[in-house]
Amino acid sequence: MKKDRTMKNPRHTIAIVLNTMLILMGVVLLFPATIAAQPTNPAQPADTTARKDLVLKGDAQCTRCHDADGEFPVLAIGKTKHGTVADGRTPTCTSCHGASETHINKPAGVKERPRPDRVFGKKSNVAAEIQNQACLTCHQGGKRIHWQGSIHASRDTTCTSCHQVHTGHDKVRDRATQAEVCLTCHKEQRAQISRPSRHPIKEGKVACSDCHNPHGSAGPSLMVRDSVNDTCYTCHMEKRGPFVRTHQPVTENCAICHNPHGTTTPNLLRSRPPFLCQQCHEPTGHRGQVAGVPGGYSPGTAGTIARGCLNCHTNIHGTNNPTDLSGERTFRR
Amino acid sequence: MMYTCRCIKLTAIAAATLAALATLTPAQAAEDEDIVQLTKPESSVEAGIGYVNKDNQRFGQYNGLKDNGVYGLLDLNVVRRDDATGTWLKLSGRNLGLDNRELRFEHNQQGNWGYFVEYGQTPRYNPLDVNTRLVGAGTSAQTINGAAARYNLEMKTQRDALSLGAEKIFIGGFSVQVRFKNEEKDGARMYGQGTPGTINFLTDPINQTTRQLDVVLAYTGERLQLSGGYYGTTFENRNNLLNVTGGITGQTPMALPPDNQSHQLYLGGGYSFTSTTRGTFNAAYTHQTQNDTFIVLPTLGGRTDLGGVVDTKLLQAGITSRPLPKLSLLGNLRYEDRPDRTPIDRYNTPGGTQNGNNEPRSIRSLTGKAEAGYALPMGFRLTGGFDYDQRNRNFSPVRVVSAREETEEKSWRAELRRSMSETTTGALSYVHSDRDGSPFLTTRRNDGTFGANLIAPPHLADRKRDKIRLSVNWEPTEELSLQFFADEALDKYESRTVLGMGPNNGKARNYAVDGSYRFSPEWQATAWYSRNETRADQATCATLTVDAVTGAMTCPASQAANLRNVGDAFGLGLHGKPLERMEIGTDVSYSDINDEYRQRALTGAAVTSLPDVSTKLTSLKVFAKYAIQKNAGIRLNYIYDRVSTNDWTWTNFTYSDGTSVFQNPNQKVHFVGVSYFYRWQ
Repeated sequence: MKKDRTMKNPRHTIAIVLNTMLILMGVVLLFPATIAAQPTNPAQPADTTARKDLVLKGDAQCTRCHDADGEFPVLAIGKTKHGTVADGRTPTCTSCHGASETHINKPAGVKERPRPDRVFGKKSNVAAEIQNQACLTCHQGGKRIHWQGSIHASRDTTCTSCHQVHTGHDKVRDRATQAEVCLTCHKEQRAQISRPSRHPIKEGKVACSDCHNPHGSAGPSLMVRDSVNDTCYTCHMEKRGPFVRTHQPVTENCAICHNPHGTTTPNLLRSRPPFLCQQCHEPTGHRGQVAGVPGGYSPGTAGTIARGCLNCHTNIHGTNNPTDLSGERTFRR
Repeated sequence: MMYTCRCIKLTAIAAATLAALATLTPAQAAEDEDIVQLTKPESSVEAGIGYVNKDNQRFGQYNGLKDNGVYGLLDLNVVRRDDATGTWLKLSGRNLGLDNRELRFEHNQQGNWGYFVEYGQTPRYNPLDVNTRLVGAGTSAQTINGAAARYNLEMKTQRDALSLGAEKIFIGGFSVQVRFKNEEKDGARMYGQGTPGTINFLTDPINQTTRQLDVVLAYTGERLQLSGGYYGTTFENRNNLLNVTGGITGQTPMALPPDNQSHQLYLGGGYSFTSTTRGTFNAAYTHQTQNDTFIVLPTLGGRTDLGGVVDTKLLQAGITSRPLPKLSLLGNLRYEDRPDRTPIDRYNTPGGTQNGNNEPRSIRSLTGKAEAGYALPMGFRLTGGFDYDQRNRNFSPVRVVSAREETEEKSWRAELRRSMSETTTGALSYVHSDRDGSPFLTTRRNDGTFGANLIAPPHLADRKRDKIRLSVNWEPTEELSLQFFADEALDKYESRTVLGMGPNNGKARNYAVDGSYRFSPEWQATAWYSRNETRADQATCATLTVDAVTGAMTCPASQAANLRNVGDAFGLGLHGKPLERMEIGTDVSYSDINDEYRQRALTGAAVTSLPDVSTKLTSLKVFAKYAIQKNAGIRLNYIYDRVSTNDWTWTNFTYSDGTSVFQNPNQKVHFVGVSYFYRWQ
C-alpha cells in the first residue's frame, strides 16, 4: 500500500525526484573528482586520481603540486594560446616536459625529487637544442624555418631565454616591452637606443622584431627581409630609387653611414660631417676642408656647422633630377 | 501521516544537502572562481590624466608629450575566448589619448582562421626650434624670406599606418596568410639648398604613401616546412618636386624622391633529413622599378623617365648536423645578385668630372660560413668557424671617389662557451678578419686626365679586424645574479698611398656589468653600468693637388682627426610590494656621452680642433599601484627627464636667409599621471 500510495501521489514523486537531484548535486559538488574523467596516466599516484585537470589534458598530475605560486607557477598557461584546449594542437604538460615519471612518482630512497625530464630555463641541465626541440616540434614552420643555423641557435640560446610560456603576458611578444628582453643580452644596443638620435624603440613604436627575425632569416644580421637595405626600405622606401644619380654606399648598405640603434649625430649618422664624408671622398677642393670652428659661417666651414655637408648636398641618398644645371650629380638638387 | 512523515524525512535529507551546499559550495565556488581567474584570459582598461610641466624638444619627440598641459591617458585590452571553440576576440588600444596611439582588433579561431585590423600613429617632432621667414613650409612651393616677419616654425612628421591581415589554416599542414599595410607619412622636416657662400633653409615637404602586401602560402609538416609567396611594395610621393622662390639661382625645382615599386616572389623552406640533420634554403626574385616622370626634361636625350629597373636574385642554402652526440656542424652559403638594369643614357652635357650619363649601381655578393662545435666536459662547448664575404660592384668610368670592384673578406673565429651550469655560464670568443680585394680603379676625369687617387673608403679598404668578446653570468645564490660583458674590436685600414689619408684605425670597446638581487619574493633590485667607446683615426688633406698628366699627388697641408665617442651609462631599479595591496617601483638611468674630435695637423699650419660635445641624459621613472579592490585600483606615474648638452652645432649660426635654429641646451621635464585601472574576465 505504501508503495502504491507513494507512486501514485504526484507530489510525492516530484519530491523524490527533486530530492534525488539535490542529493546528486551535493555529491557532485562535494566530491567532484569522483565523477571526473578517468586518469590518463594509470601509473599516477592514487591521490592525483582525486583531482581534475585545470587547464591542459592530464595536467592534474602536475597541478597537484604546481599552481599559480611558488618557484614554478604554471596555471597562467591557461590564459595563453597554449591553454586554448579547443585547438587540438595544444600541448599537454608532458609534451614539453616529458613523461617525467620519477619526478611525478619520487622513487623510494631518493632524497630529492628528480627533476622533470625536460627542464627549461637558465639552470636547466638539458642541452639547449633538446630544450628547443620541444618547441620546434610544433613551431618549426613559418618564421622559424631558419632557426637551426641562426646565430641564436648556434650560441645555445633557448626559446625560454626570451619567451615566457606560463604567463598571460610574454614580454618579448609585446612591442612595448620587447626591447627589455633583447637588451638583457645586447648591452651595446641598450646604451645606444637612448642616444639623442634614435628610433622610437623606448616608446614601443619600433620593436627589435620590426628589423630582426630572432628566429633566423636568410638575410644578414637576422634581418627580416633579404638584406639590410630591403629591411630599411620597409619604412624608408623613398631612399630606394634607383635614381638618375645614386650615392654608391646607399645601394650597398645603409649601415655604412648609419647606425640604426642610435647615435649622437642627427639622422643616426655614425659620425659628424665632414668627418663621415671625408672617410670616402677625395680631398680635392672643398672636400678636404678642415672641420671648422663654430661661431659663424664661412664656405670653409659649411661642412661642419648646421647640417654639415648636407647643407648643400641635401639629396644625399640620390636625386632623380636629370639636369645638371647646379650640381645634381653631387646630390644638391 | 506516513506520507507526511516520509515527505518530511525526504525534505530533511534535501535540507541537509542544501545546508551542505550552503556551507560548502561557496568555498568550492570560490576555488573555482580562483581557478578561472588564474587560467582564463583577462581584460583590462586603464584611464586617467597626465600633466607635462613645460614645453620640451626631446621628451615628447616620439610620444606627443611635447607641450606643457594636460593629456588624456587611455589603454585597454579586451580579450574574450570562447573555450568551447577556441575563438578569440581581442581589442587592444595603447596610448589612445596621445599622438602615438595604437588600436588593434583581432578575431580568430585558433588553429583554423583569423583576421585583424590595426591602426598605429607615430609622430616625430623636430627636436629643434626654427625661427624663419620661409613661406610655404611643408608644401611643394616655398618662398625664402616670403614672410614679412620671422615666426617660429614647428616641424613634425607623422606616420599613420593601417594594417589588415587574414589567415586560414587548412588540414594537412597548409596555410595561407595575407597581410597588407598602408602607411601615410605627412609633415615637414629640415631641408635646404646651398652653394659655396650661401646656405638657405627649406623644409622637405612630405606627403607619401607606402604600401606593402605579403601573401604567404605555407606548408608545415613533420620533416618539411615551406613558406613562399608574393611580397609587393609601392612608394608614392605626392610631392616629387620642390619649387623654390627667392633661392639660389638655378636650384629650382629640386627633385624629391620618386615613386617606385617592387614585386617579389620567394620560396623558403627547411627539411629535417634526420633528427640531427636539417637543411634550409631560400630563393627570391625581385623586380623593382622606378619610372616616375621627370620633374623637368633632361638637357640631352628624349627620356621622360629614368626607366629604372633592378632585378635581384637571392639564393641561400644551409645545413646543420650533429653527426656525433658531441659534434655539431653548420654550413651556409648565400648568393645575391642585384644588377641595376636601368638603361644608361646621356642626360646632359659632359663636364670635367662627369660624362653626363646616369650611373646604375649593381652589386653582387657571395657570403658563406662554416662552423664546428664540440661539447666538452662540464658543460663547455668549443666552436670554430670560418666566414667568407665577397662583393662585386660596378662603377661608372668617370668618378670622383675611389672605387674597387671586388672585395673579399675572410674571418676565422673561435669560441669557448659554457651554457649549462647551476651558477656560472659564459663565453669567450675571438674573431680575426682580413679583407682585401681587386686593385683600386684609377680615378680619371672625363677628359682622361688623372683625378685624386688617395682615399680607400672604409667599406672598400683593405682591413684587418680583431675582435675579442667575453661574457660571464654568475648566479652564486638564488637571490643574486651578476653579469659581466666586455668586447673590443680593433680595425686596421690600409691606406692607398704613403700619405696615409682616409681611415686608418678604428676601435670599438664595450663593457657592461649587470646585477640583480631579490631581497624577498616581494622586493627586488637591479643595477647596471656600461661603457661604450668607438674611435676612428682618419686623415685628410686640405690642399691636395693632382698632376693631371702623371697623377702625382702632393699634400702640403694635411690633418688628422681621432674621433672618439664614449658613453658611460648606468641604471638602477627597485620594485616591490610594501603592502598587500600596493606595488611600487622606480627606475633611474643616466648617460654621459662625449664626442671628441681631437684634430691635429700632420703637415702644414696648426689646426684648432673642434670643441668636444657632451650630452647628458637622465631619466627617473616612479610608479605606485594601489588595489582598491581585487580587480581595480589606482596607478600613479611620475617621470623626470633631463637632457643637457653643450652641442655647438647650431650656436651662433644663422642661415644665409636669416633663419636661426635653437637647441635648448638644458631640458628638464616633469610628467605626472594618475589613472584608474579595472580588470575583468
